[in-house]
Order: sequence, then structure tokens, then C-alpha cells
Amino acid sequence: MTTETITTASSGRAHGVVRTRGFGAITGRTVVWIVLAVFGILSVVPMIWLILAPSKTAKQLNGDAPFSFGSFAQYGVAWNNLLSQNNGVILNWMGNSVVYTASIVVISCLTAVLAGYALAATALPFKRALLIITLVAMIIPPVALVVPLFVEISAIGLYDNPISVILTSSFYPFGVFLAYIYFSTSIPTELYEAAKVDGAGEFTTFFRIALPLSRGLFGMLAFFSFSAAWVNYFLPYVLLQSQENFNLSLGLGFLFTSSPALNPQNGAQQSLIGRPEIALASLFLAIPILIVFIASSRLLVRGVLAGAVKS
Amino acid sequence: MFAPYLILLALFGVWPIVQAGLVSLEPTVINPAGGAQNFADVVADVRFVPAALNVVVFLVMYVPAMLIVVSLMSLLLDTVQGRWNLPLRLAYIVPASMTGATAVLIWYFMLEPSLSPYQDALHALGITQGNQIWRQGGLAWIFVAMAFFVGAGNWIVVQYGSLQSISDDILEAARIDGANSWQIAWRIKLPLIRKYLVYMGILVFAAGLQVFVEPQLISGSVYTGIATDWSLNQLSYDLAFQSNNLADSAALSLMLLVVCIVAAIVVIFRSDFFEGTGVGSKK
Repeated sequence: MTTETITTASSGRAHGVVRTRGFGAITGRTVVWIVLAVFGILSVVPMIWLILAPSKTAKQLNGDAPFSFGSFAQYGVAWNNLLSQNNGVILNWMGNSVVYTASIVVISCLTAVLAGYALAATALPFKRALLIITLVAMIIPPVALVVPLFVEISAIGLYDNPISVILTSSFYPFGVFLAYIYFSTSIPTELYEAAKVDGAGEFTTFFRIALPLSRGLFGMLAFFSFSAAWVNYFLPYVLLQSQENFNLSLGLGFLFTSSPALNPQNGAQQSLIGRPEIALASLFLAIPILIVFIASSRLLVRGVLAGAVKS
Repeated sequence: MFAPYLILLALFGVWPIVQAGLVSLEPTVINPAGGAQNFADVVADVRFVPAALNVVVFLVMYVPAMLIVVSLMSLLLDTVQGRWNLPLRLAYIVPASMTGATAVLIWYFMLEPSLSPYQDALHALGITQGNQIWRQGGLAWIFVAMAFFVGAGNWIVVQYGSLQSISDDILEAARIDGANSWQIAWRIKLPLIRKYLVYMGILVFAAGLQVFVEPQLISGSVYTGIATDWSLNQLSYDLAFQSNNLADSAALSLMLLVVCIVAAIVVIFRSDFFEGTGVGSKK
């Protein structure tokens, strides 16, 4: 008989002593570990490959072993080649990605927190109907509205204007729902009522009572808003036309289709954009979101869905 | 206080649907009279049925694969609470950072027998040429793999979080009653997170119905034309931007949207996911 003690993870549940029985349980345990580890390795392999890829020349990338390392200097070469594309348009793309994403995160989180609070703690007419519309909007994938949004945006003359991407992406029903649940369950409603009895108006109550208590909520809202906005592809693809307005994700797609890197029949044969350059541009897109994911992994553990709807 | 969001909701949630509804009834080249005939025209388009079939095949593989693997992996993850739990979770969300064009690049290399880290495995399967994989019949598999790879990790972490909400008392009671880990997972944990899995299933279905980026990029870059109008959303896009037929494009978008709205209403009113939020089926 084997006895193993499982230590409590900092964020996990308190576990006692788990008794496993004999040989069968040990093999069961081993299988679990193998499955978990293999899945982990499969998840990480492409990222390792992607990090190594720009260290090699196009020739090394095709000829050398997949996980070989070229040289650090090659990252610089690849970067200079990227810069040479249309007078450094990649810098525009990166700048645009930062500006669009930051604007979207700020606008979407602020409107969502305000709306969630209004739904949870104020006397709002048609509250149930508004809530249901928000839930429907939250389940519909944003992609479904792309063509309708294009029709609308071109009608009001905002086509190829970055404002169109920022505003349409700032519509954040999932955030409203999370904020609504947060304000109606995590903070006792007596608190708002007490403030109102003391003569505080809706806005005073919100800014003095609700907002200071919602830092965790902001973290979660910003996380989801960021992860959607940073990789946003289809919507800007349809709403923007000029290369200098692209975000990085769109720019990367453009490099794909316009350079001979992946298909020799595409684009100019003399292009400096080869596979290492594309891999480097992909890294610029992937690394920020990876950092945000890792930094906020603790937020996610609390149970996004469970924490949100458990009442 | 509600106003800023209400403006966004009206402008970018409701109005585009209304306007698409109006545009979908406008006259087209094939149908100068306009009206509901546009919807019939879209369905009669030679590209419609193949694209619809592709999307159905895609969904039939994608949705169950996500549900089964995500449930299994989050349950397994929940059984190891030691120091490896966090690194594993971090590893699982790495692929979620490689979406869109990055995912296409990755998969091109992973599936190219001469370049892939998995070339031994590919050779063992008898695949020595990229075009043995990248051909018309097998595309659904590749797109499922791509979408699965990007989406599964995040959902595993989210559903692992759902499992953390199960009270210790319940699990402790089951253990005292002599239930083994397998029974606890199957009889207790799984039923308790069922509603989160249903919710996930609906979201995954709605997103899968709209598949666009993967086939569009593959078709526009690596293998030109291999997946033109492969999915319904691509057809809708091409109707608008290649054929200048905005009316039919809007009609197709609306049809897809209706399916998503129905799915949304089912999950809101027929499942217990929104129980306790003031709108669900039970209060």
C-alpha cells in the first residue's frame, strides 16, 4: 500500500492525504502524468520552434534540424529585412496594434464596468430586456457581425478609418455580463443602499464605493479585452484598406500573401521577406499576448465562468 | 451610466443587423426585383452547398473534439495539485498566443514533411510530400486541428477553474464513501461542471460556424486557391468584395447570424447556465 501526500497548491483546493491502492493505482497515476506531460509538450513545441526560427537563414531553416539554433546576429538581419519592407511599415503596424489595443481596452472596460454597475445596482428601465440582449450579443461570435458592420461603416463614411476598428471592437457585452455578475454578487447590495441612504447619488456611490472594490474585476475585463483586440484579424481586414492603417496581425497576413516566403508564386521574387522574417513578425504578435497570459494566469484560475455565475 | 455602453450596443450590436436586413433585400444583378428572393439566390449559389457541407463536417469534428479533450484534460489536471500544476497550465495556454496568421505559419511548417519537427511521425504515416496533406478532401482535418490548437488550452484552464469551484466537502464526502478518483471525476465533478461545458459547447459551435481566417489565409498564401469559398463566411466575404453583391452577402450573413442567435437563446432560456442571474429558465 502506497501513501502519497499531495501538497496544496497556493491557489488550489486544500487537499488531504490521498490513499492510492496498490499497483493499479500507480499505473493509473503514471498514465495521467504521461497524458498531461505529452499535452504540455505538444503545446509548447510550436512556440519553441517559432522562437528559434528567426535565428536561422532561410536556407538553414529548410536544411537544418527543426530545433537547431542559428545565431543571434540573424535575428538582427531578419529585423532589418522586415524594416526594409515599404519604408518600415512594420513599425506602423506595431504602433497601430498598440494604439488600437490600448484604446479598445480602455473604452471597452470603462463602458462595461459602468453598464454592469448600472444593471446591478441602479433602477434602470427595461433591465431584463437589456440583460437578455447583452447575453445574446455575448454568445454571438464577433465574426458574425463583420459583414453587417462593414455595410454600416461604409454607409457612415468611416471605411479605412482606424476609428471604425476601435469603436466597433469596444462593444464588449461579455465584459458587461462579468461586471454585472460581479457587482450583484461579490459586493453586498446593502453597501450601495447604505451609501444612497446617506445621501450619495448614483455616481458618487459608483466612484466612492463600487469602483475602489473592483480592481480584480478590471484585471479580468482587461485581460479578455486585450486578448481579443491584440489578435483582431477579420474585422480590421474588412474595415481597413491602407497598409499604413493595418495592425500587426493584419500586416502579418499581408506579408503572407504578398511575399514569396511561403509560396514562390506570390509577389516580388526579389523580396527580402522570407520565412525567417515572417517567423520574426509572428513572434512580435505572439510574445506580448503570451506575456499577458502568463502574467494573468492566476486570475484565470479563480474560475472565470464559475466565479462569474456562481451566486 | 448605462448610456456609453447602450450607444455601442445600439450602433455596433443592433444597428448593423437592421441595416444588413435592409441591404439584404436590395436588388441584385441576378435578381433586379430584390426582396426575399435574394436569400433563395444565395442558397442556390453553386458554392453554397459545398461550403455548408464543409462547415458541417468541420463542426461535427471540432465541437465534440473540444468538449471531450477539454473535459478530460481539465479533470486530469485537477487530480494533480502539486507543484507541476501551474507549469502545466502555463504550457497549455501557450498555443492560444499563436492565432490567425501565426497559426497558419506554424501549421505550414508542422505539416511540411521536409521541415517539420514531427517529420519522423509524418514519414511513419507515409507522408513525404506536403501536397499529400494539403489537398481538397483533407482540409477540414487541418482546419479543425488549427482551431483546436488555438482554442483548447484556454478552455482547459477555464474549465479547470470551474472545477475549483466545487466544494471540498462534496469531494471529501465521496472519498469517505469509498469513491475512487475515476468515480469522483465521472459521477461528481463532471455533472457539477456540466453547465459550463454546455456553455462552452455553444460558444465553440457558434465560433466554428463562422470559421474564416484559417481557410482564407491558407488559400491566399501557401496553397493559392485551395480553399477558396471553403466556408460560408468566406463565401459571404467573396460575395461582398469579389462579386460586389452586398445584398446576397448580407443575406448570407443574416442566415448565419440567425443560427447563432437561436443557439444563444437556447443556452439562455433552456440551460441552467444563467440560473441566478435574473434571466435564466429557473430563478
